[in-house]
Amino acid sequence: MTTLIVVDQAPYSNWNGREALDMALSLAAFDQPVALLFTGPGVNWLRSGQNPGRIEQKSVEKQLAAAGIFGVEALYADQTACDRYQLNAETLMPGITPCKNPASVVRSHQRVLFAG
Amino acid sequence: MTSPSSLTYTLVITGAPWASQAPQSALLFARALLESGHRLDRVFLYGDGVHLASALSAPPSDETNWPAEWAALLAEHQIPGVVCVASALRRGLVNDTEQKRYELPASNLRAPFDIAGLGDWVESQRQSDRMVYFHGEC
Repeated sequence: MTTLIVVDQAPYSNWNGREALDMALSLAAFDQPVALLFTGPGVNWLRSGQNPGRIEQKSVEKQLAAAGIFGVEALYADQTACDRYQLNAETLMPGITPCKNPASVVRSHQRVLFAG
Repeated sequence: MTSPSSLTYTLVITGAPWASQAPQSALLFARALLESGHRLDRVFLYGDGVHLASALSAPPSDETNWPAEWAALLAEHQIPGVVCVASALRRGLVNDTEQKRYELPASNLRAPFDIAGLGDWVESQRQSDRMVYFHGEC
């Protein structure tokens, strides 16, 4: 039973998304299937070339790039939100699964939680 | 003893008391599910929700003390109240063990809450019929 964690807030403004990513990595560490869905302003997590050093934060892009290595099954990106934030093949980090119908992704998972 | 139709729950609280409605909504939900014959496996405090386990909250006397209310419910029903260690350490919630480990001047974890890792939350994912989340402001 794959757990889906939905991230709908932009990175760097609060700690909710980071702690949701910690939850995803914990599930993966215990061999529990998990995937992430980014929607709304949350798709900005997936922007390539992030450099948050000036605000003294770690890059969420680097953390996400390692998610697959640690066993996170998929990083879904809401296509409509990507269009709104001008995220395309050139500006998205690699390894992203675009989805035109995020509702169907949610429906296909029995356990769904939002990043607080 | 629960009835065959009863369910087991884990509640995850990520909103802080006095900053969000999450702890009191979760408390009302917990009371309702227990009164309905369901079982509460565990309450897991995560993110800002860890402030609910502070022993040092001292609200005005005409306001409800949500950490005390929660602690009383957990004790009465012998429900494990687990505080995520990573969230707790970042926000200054420590028990005696962590106080000694990090050489801090005091500990402030309210009984019967205990500190543990996300592994406890993963265990709930496996075991509980329902996981219900109470978030703060988004």
